[in-house]
Amino acid sequence: MKKLIAEFTKGLIKENPTFILALGLCPTLAVSVSVSNGIGMGIAATFVLLGSSVIISFIKNFIPERIRIPCYIVVIATFVTIAELCMKAYSPALDRALGIYVPLIVVNCIVLGRAEAFACKNNVMASLFDGLGMGVGFTLALILISGIREFLGTGRLLGHTVINGFEPVFVFGMPSGALLVIGLLLGFFNFLKGRKA
Amino acid sequence: MINRLNVSVSPHIHNDQATSKIMWWVALSLIPAGVAGVYIFGSRAFWVITISIVTALLTEFLWNIVTKKKVTIFDGSAFLTGLLLAYNLPANVPFWLPPAGTVFSIIIGKQVFGGLGQNIFNPALVGRVFLMASWPSYMTTFTSPPKFLAWGLTKPMAYDAVTSATPLAALKEGKFIGHLSYLDLFLGNRGGCIGEVCIIALLLGAAILLIKGYISWHIPVTYIFTTGVFTYVFAGKQLFAGDWLLHILSGGLILGAFFMATDYVATPLTRKGQIIFGVGCGLLTGVIRVWGGYPEGVAYSILMMNAATPFIDRYTKSRVYGTS
Amino acid sequence: MNLQEFLTIFISAVFIYNVILSRFLGLCSFIAISKETKPALAMSFAVMFVITMSSAITWFIYRFLLLPFGLTYLRTISFILVIATFVQLVEMVIRKTSPQLYRAFGIYLPLITVNCAVLGVAVLNIDMFFVNGKAVAGSFYYTVFQGICVGVGYTLAMLLMSGIRQRLELCDVPKPFKEFPLAFIIASILSLSFMGFNGFKF
Repeated sequence: MKKLIAEFTKGLIKENPTFILALGLCPTLAVSVSVSNGIGMGIAATFVLLGSSVIISFIKNFIPERIRIPCYIVVIATFVTIAELCMKAYSPALDRALGIYVPLIVVNCIVLGRAEAFACKNNVMASLFDGLGMGVGFTLALILISGIREFLGTGRLLGHTVINGFEPVFVFGMPSGALLVIGLLLGFFNFLKGRKA
Repeated sequence: MINRLNVSVSPHIHNDQATSKIMWWVALSLIPAGVAGVYIFGSRAFWVITISIVTALLTEFLWNIVTKKKVTIFDGSAFLTGLLLAYNLPANVPFWLPPAGTVFSIIIGKQVFGGLGQNIFNPALVGRVFLMASWPSYMTTFTSPPKFLAWGLTKPMAYDAVTSATPLAALKEGKFIGHLSYLDLFLGNRGGCIGEVCIIALLLGAAILLIKGYISWHIPVTYIFTTGVFTYVFAGKQLFAGDWLLHILSGGLILGAFFMATDYVATPLTRKGQIIFGVGCGLLTGVIRVWGGYPEGVAYSILMMNAATPFIDRYTKSRVYGTS
Repeated sequence: MNLQEFLTIFISAVFIYNVILSRFLGLCSFIAISKETKPALAMSFAVMFVITMSSAITWFIYRFLLLPFGLTYLRTISFILVIATFVQLVEMVIRKTSPQLYRAFGIYLPLITVNCAVLGVAVLNIDMFFVNGKAVAGSFYYTVFQGICVGVGYTLAMLLMSGIRQRLELCDVPKPFKEFPLAFIIASILSLSFMGFNGFKF
């Protein structure tokens, strides 16, 4: 059991998919305009990660080596479609906000990457915890980035005004600001890593 | 100065003192434009310039301390960045705006690349576009100059309201600016950023730099010429009917062409490369002014050409050392 | 179908909504491969080719298969399968016909399958050129043209970035910012510069 917990926690910090593995950056930057979007995307991605990791780990012994990538893609695409349809039905506003980045979870490097690197080599339970850990780590990273961007770019967090009279710095709501935030965050985490060593 | 093995295009000799001297001379040559700006826009302009320079120096100083490197604030480049950024701002910006800009310019525009000599982009312009994107309303609100130059040579300014447009903004909106003469534009009798309006003061400073050989005519002349030709052809109601003189004297073209597009570090090394650079800037500025959404495109054009400079250098470098 | 629309697509896809600097599609490959010009160029051409062709193919699939039979919810699955198959086919063809070409950019081809840009543009085309379940007039040409323009935008961003990064190899970048962080900051400044074309009206 301890080993399983370890598989979960490694996805949070030590092997955080966004800041350490540098995977899945496309949707991270695009949807991190507000914290609610970030959480929505995080949940959708975690669902897909969980489902696909488990299924792929389940069927890994039955898939011929040569066509394994297309098989993974089919599995992942199925879960993404489920997530897409649920989102369209139960929170159409979120679906509109996330736009093309929901179907793009299919090619999110995190999902396929974990399938390639982990799920196809480990048992179902371990894959479950790994998928969950990576998904939560991804969501946490999204919350951090979108928190910074929403606060600096609009002066609000989750729609609530935090400081009165704060002049919002519009650039943070723009693509340029997203790239800047992640550049600075990556630099900051590198600096922390450097100090520990 | 630590010696590093640098495999690069000539010139290979980096003389610290020479670089510093050039920086301070450029700053000196910009003083006439600043004095004119303060005269035209009032004391607030002076404070914007001062705050900008002080915060630029402070930021660089703190960065030097934190990264445990040599203190570089006396080489003139931080001073120059602060000065140039202030010249690119309207006089009535809130006082917290210049510091935000200078911190961005110094840190993101220069220091993360490794400091002076290694920045790809002109730091002052990086700060300006950051400010434009972050607080567009503050960056595009211009008040009418409280003092107009009533020497009897020019007509007094007729502005609609306290917040009034610059000539280029009026052009973009299709408004008629008949109350301005070319002489008005030349002397700076118009709305605009602190350091960009007084053309004669800018040309005076540029002349000093050209005479002393600190800048060469290649980039500014090709830049201004290309913009003129482009606006002549495309900026009018029909082809070949554009008011090129208005375009040359308006906006930040003169300031940008002589003082920011000539940045040693961020522009090509060879003469041929510099001409390409100038033409590129001119075309981009023209395109943005005529068809883009913004009335002015100088800052964006120069930055885009800064980005292309590594390529220009690579394909125009001399094959034999000593020739160009 | 008019010239104005084509020009707008060009300026949007290449500058204002640049696929990498604004839509963030293909970012992983951008950061990873833009260190040197030759690989960057090779990747760009491969991407441009795949995006254009898959834009065309997915248009057909959507127009003649998914729409008429009410299967639009299968868009994601069918598109990604089509793209994966197409890339596989192209790789096999190149390997057989030109080993040189294969060596040049065959290795990048499998990577393109998961390049967000390809699927992203395919989905974007549908969102932009199909209104209320019907194809806009001339949508096929717009779709293919957008594919080409996105490729051009990708190439432009890659070229500029590789030129800059190659030059920075010789510079004294502060240690925490080396490699990725600085690449993102440069991309941020490039993105700011490209904003100059906002509001473009021909």
